[in-house]
Amino acid sequence: MSLRSTLRALPTLLRVGFSEAVAYRAEMFVWVLSTTMPLIMMALWTAVAREAPVGQYGSQDFVRYFLAAFVVRQLTGAWAAWMINYEVRQGTLAMRLLRPISPLWGYAAENIGAMPMRLFVVVPVASFAVYTVGWQAVPQTAWGWAFLLVSIFGGWLITFLANVAIGTLSLYMESSTKLMDVWLALFFVCSGYLYPVELFPPVLRTVMDWLPFRYQIGLPVELMTNAHGFEVALGLLGRQWLWVGLMLLISLGLWKRGLKRFAAFGG
Amino acid sequence: MLRRYLRLLGVQLRASSLLAMQYRGDFVIEGIISLFWTATALAPLFVVYRERQSIAGWSFGEALLVIGWFTLLQGILEGAINPSLTGVVEHIRKGTLDFVLLKPADAQFLVSTTRFLPWRSINALAGIGLFVYGFHLIGRPPSLLGVLTSLVLLGTSVLLLYSLWILTVSAAFYVVRVDNLTYFFTSIFDAARWPASVFRGVLAFVFTFVIPLAVMTTFPAQAMLDRLPWMSLVWAVVGSLGFALLSRRVWLLSIGRYTSASS
Amino acid sequence: MISVRDLRKHYQVHKRPPGLKAALRSVIHRTYTTVKAVDGISFEIKPGERVGFLGPNGAGKTTTLKVLSGLLHPSSGEVWVDGHVPRHREDAFLKKIMLVMGQKQQLLWDLPPAETFELNRAIYDVPRAQYKQTLDELVSLLELEELIGKPARQLSLGERMKCELAAALIHRPKLLFLDEPTIGLDVSMQATMRTFIKSYNERHGATLILTSHYMDDVAALCPRVIVIDKGQLSYDGGLDALVQRVRPEKRVVLRLNRPVDADSLAPLGKVVTHDNVTAVLQVPQDAVNATVSRALSSLPVQDLTVENAPLEEVMSELFAESKARRGTVGA
Repeated sequence: MSLRSTLRALPTLLRVGFSEAVAYRAEMFVWVLSTTMPLIMMALWTAVAREAPVGQYGSQDFVRYFLAAFVVRQLTGAWAAWMINYEVRQGTLAMRLLRPISPLWGYAAENIGAMPMRLFVVVPVASFAVYTVGWQAVPQTAWGWAFLLVSIFGGWLITFLANVAIGTLSLYMESSTKLMDVWLALFFVCSGYLYPVELFPPVLRTVMDWLPFRYQIGLPVELMTNAHGFEVALGLLGRQWLWVGLMLLISLGLWKRGLKRFAAFGG
Repeated sequence: MLRRYLRLLGVQLRASSLLAMQYRGDFVIEGIISLFWTATALAPLFVVYRERQSIAGWSFGEALLVIGWFTLLQGILEGAINPSLTGVVEHIRKGTLDFVLLKPADAQFLVSTTRFLPWRSINALAGIGLFVYGFHLIGRPPSLLGVLTSLVLLGTSVLLLYSLWILTVSAAFYVVRVDNLTYFFTSIFDAARWPASVFRGVLAFVFTFVIPLAVMTTFPAQAMLDRLPWMSLVWAVVGSLGFALLSRRVWLLSIGRYTSASS
Repeated sequence: MISVRDLRKHYQVHKRPPGLKAALRSVIHRTYTTVKAVDGISFEIKPGERVGFLGPNGAGKTTTLKVLSGLLHPSSGEVWVDGHVPRHREDAFLKKIMLVMGQKQQLLWDLPPAETFELNRAIYDVPRAQYKQTLDELVSLLELEELIGKPARQLSLGERMKCELAAALIHRPKLLFLDEPTIGLDVSMQATMRTFIKSYNERHGATLILTSHYMDDVAALCPRVIVIDKGQLSYDGGLDALVQRVRPEKRVVLRLNRPVDADSLAPLGKVVTHDNVTAVLQVPQDAVNATVSRALSSLPVQDLTVENAPLEEVMSELFAESKARRGTVGA
């Protein structure tokens, strides 16, 4: 489909995605409850920092960090891998392929359409963060806000494209959901979701700088809590978007090949 | 009566084992994944203890015992509790639970014993490995009494875990799409990998009385270290029995609602 | 409209032997078997035609439909659909066709069908005015008014299928593929669907290809049938002619004034059923006249009709034949 008509169809796609999110609000609530890990880690780390700060992080900093991590996780969530896997098993992917628009737009719209619902959780938590730890909990500058939004979008894109790549693998193998579990485990350990990446030993930190995970959660959280100056932030943002580009190549490549296979073997 | 149910359990276990033998290849994959999970569960511990010798009164070796219990219980959860109860959720969604309810045996018993994943018990082995390493770091073996108490607590922990699961599954009767209930449960259970004394205020209350994670992993670890007050042991036994009764009530209520609502 | 020449679709299926050892060995040395889902089919379909695909399960009907709609790539052969090669999946092509599958749904499960209609309007880029006109027409013809506001999961199977069909027609496809569209529906709902599908074909001149297990669907909708068996085309032509070929015999149905015994019926022809005052005889076509006159003279006949064998029976005989042939090939 030409880009113009895709863009014309997009508002409707997003609106329907939003209606679906409204229909599934109870499920979203359950999902939000299952992403409360940062709050538990917050309890843990503030306990650790009670006697003396850890690195540069005092108790207050940990509160800020993990509230931000909770907010960022809500805004960068994607579940396309499970959708694709389910639709490949059920054979309903065929129905999507009949339409003159790439199914990927559909999956993306369903994921983004759920964001307004998420704001109902995000805004109170962010307000609470500002209330308890002051305006330090949100960016202090205009460029800070701009960078935060760009990094959240970039983080979402990496998450979504990884989902597409792994979901597409269900066209090749039976246990793509197990692979998703492995990805999630790496994500939890390397993304800065359980602890600030800074607290890692230097060698491992360098490794994490080169992996995609920390750009999903860590970078937006750091930008939200004013951890970096302009230049460092710009550099990290550049790396994040390099990963976006790379994931785009990988996932689209896998998707195209997967579809060819689907067309050769049928659903 | 009891013998009949034991026989039923035997039949279901046998079927699951036969199934597991067919997929022997899974043994290797499950082993690798379980090692991987154990390693990722340890990562935050390493990061935390890089900064401190002891946290909330727990040294690194002692905290390893808690993680050991967490890993052991996770193996039991994923091998014996999760699979059948995920099946219930599937039954409810497809509306095939009626077939189960038609059978002349207790529905809760039937649905909780339909499927076992024996290969997941590798996780339990990983837990035992952590115990050994933990005590190696502490520098002394556990006392016999400590081990015996912790075995009693293993029973109460499994009962608690199972009751919590039954409560979660009962929620499946009320929510439209229930795929992520399992995910929800495992992610809440994640908090049990930390010594309970780390949590204060609201979380301490929640994890002791509402979702008794503290009782499940911290108590047995304390028992191994001969640190568990006798009153806590009594509380754990009484509490877990109470929880089991509560979950049974809720299950019966939900089933009642299901049978009266379905057309 | 559609031109298919020597279409073949072969799959390589990896045979996975049981047992760990064999499984490990198969990682290194894989054994494949070739499944010939479609094996050399040719036909032409003119615009506005209604064609039924018949065949036993696994004969290759659905595979052919999927190739025609661009979901499957053919292994060899030439397929043209209204000037397009389906497997290129051009937007212009996709906007002309629609595939409705009785067992797979495109309706959004937890939302009202109206949302799916709206979504399809956007995806197929249908102008607002035309959308409104099409929707009004569909709503009144299929009596959807009450249904389109309720979440799809709350609709009955029949109601859902009506909405499914409506969702498929939002962009007024010129070519409609229907794969078992009436499966699981009750008789009156089947009739509703048939009437509607036929009227859509007549009003918009759309071409229609249908597969169904219910012969009534095919008899009511399709003047022309194509029989696919073991991936090959075994018949292409009118339905009546097919019946003639498979079952050249006619049926003489007798309604009698009083009961007669079996012996008096036997000389007339093969007795299919006989109870009390009705009897059904099967006779070769050229013997129909003789049988009728003999029955009228020798029996207390109140009423007499001559019919073709029921379609279901013809089909099961046709497929049983092919199954028997397959059995010998397999042995």
